[in-house]
Amino acid sequence: MSFLLSVARLGKFTFQNIFRNFWLSFITSTIFVLTLVTINAVLFMNVAAKAVLEAVEQKVEITFSFLPETSESIVTSAQGYLRGFSQVRDVQFIPSDEVLANFQDRHQADEVILSSLDELGENPFGHSLVVTTYSTEDFEFIREAMETPEFSQYIKEQDFTDYQLVIEKIKSLNTRTRYFGFGLAALFSLIAIMIIFNTIRVAIYVHRDEIAIMKLVGANDWFIRGPFVLEALLYSFLSTLVMVAIVFAVFGALQIQMTLFFGDAWQGTVDYFRDNAFIIFGLQFATLALLSLLTTAFAMRKYLKT
Amino acid sequence: MIRFSNVSKHYPPNTCALEHVNLHIKPGEFVSIVGQSGSGKTTLAKLLFAEERATKGKIVVGDWDISSIHTSDIPVLRRQIGIVFQDFKLLSRKTVFENVSFALEVAGEERKRIRDIVPQVLKIVGLSDKHHRYPRQLSGGEQQRVSIARALVHRPKILVADEPTGNLDTIHAHEIIQLLKKINEYGTTVVLVTHDRDIVNALKKRVVTIADGRIVSDIERGKYLIS
Repeated sequence: MSFLLSVARLGKFTFQNIFRNFWLSFITSTIFVLTLVTINAVLFMNVAAKAVLEAVEQKVEITFSFLPETSESIVTSAQGYLRGFSQVRDVQFIPSDEVLANFQDRHQADEVILSSLDELGENPFGHSLVVTTYSTEDFEFIREAMETPEFSQYIKEQDFTDYQLVIEKIKSLNTRTRYFGFGLAALFSLIAIMIIFNTIRVAIYVHRDEIAIMKLVGANDWFIRGPFVLEALLYSFLSTLVMVAIVFAVFGALQIQMTLFFGDAWQGTVDYFRDNAFIIFGLQFATLALLSLLTTAFAMRKYLKT
Repeated sequence: MIRFSNVSKHYPPNTCALEHVNLHIKPGEFVSIVGQSGSGKTTLAKLLFAEERATKGKIVVGDWDISSIHTSDIPVLRRQIGIVFQDFKLLSRKTVFENVSFALEVAGEERKRIRDIVPQVLKIVGLSDKHHRYPRQLSGGEQQRVSIARALVHRPKILVADEPTGNLDTIHAHEIIQLLKKINEYGTTVVLVTHDRDIVNALKKRVVTIADGRIVSDIERGKYLIS
């Protein structure tokens, strides 16, 4: 009972601290929220970039077009040969008729090309193999593997869609964004530390009479320091709550536009945040609370001689 | 009850506030510590409630050697010693009742006990009918009574009053001294630090005179000797 009563009184003094310096408390919490939102924006960019990269990489493929006279058995043999590599995700055999149909589909608006095909009178395309790998970095290996004389003599051309450039650009952008984001987060963290230090310092100054009287009448040390510690913890907790609300509000507001832009990658990123919410936001709260407590301890040590 | 044995207090670089002070105050005594400004009387009071630490010597309160008291034990000591200051040290945003109950709240007392004790001490100091007022609505003498009530809520065995009449006119000062005498009659040891000649002479109690950090006289039913 006595313990609960003391905790309740600590809570009362803590709320007095907060509301007597309302604007200072508001600014402190705002800086905390800004810091957390920045960190989450960086985290979001990182996760989204990974999801986009994965999506792009899954779409990247090499097409080996064989000479028209190459028999199906040679092409299927090459298919088996390629499937033997651990780097290969899939090898799809496209018969020449389908290659022709796909070509016609792609150029159905181009009368010149279609009439040229008609003039030829026969299918100018051979069979094709469409190879997808687990990583774009394995493309070079696949190209070299197909340079074996057993198959290279039958290959008319290889179409390596130039996604590598796109991937490199995404990676580069992501790295730069991450550095910038972490820099910004570090800056906000530094500001947050200074703000909480000043908030506690001002709170100690505002309550100097009460503190003096508390000491005079025999209040325990923890009773004097407790409200400031609780105040710092409360700022961290409230800021985390506001940040979580902002993050999910942004997710909700941008759902349609972002799904159109990022496709499945967007939903994957939202799901990542939702599934790991407890760990992501819990860790951020714990870090912020620890930072606040250390700063508060330092401020109390400097300004609160008990 | 209180024993100072060869106590000295020095402040750097070379200020000597108290030098070789030996003093014994028995339980239930009313002792006036007198001296001119800067003589060391307030330092002596501060040593009693561990606001300051002695540079040398030993201070015993009851059976407790407080010369090297641990910081965490200071609150325990201060609940056993009531302290009253010249400037009252009241919280302007709290009522009389709240100012007095504050001392119990921060010590973790239960609400029921607070509701029992506070009216009792307010009755002792004669402020039962003003418990809802704020300090600014009281006279100086009444504010000092609130301060005394707050000092009494822990039922201390010792009450240290450092210049309690310094901010009061003669009539209010007299009332406060009468109150301190009443508290002393209930059995509380009172240590009054003052430089008010008239009060000391009217009290006809033990007077310890300090000059330049040393006790220069200690007389039962004494008078203010310094000119």
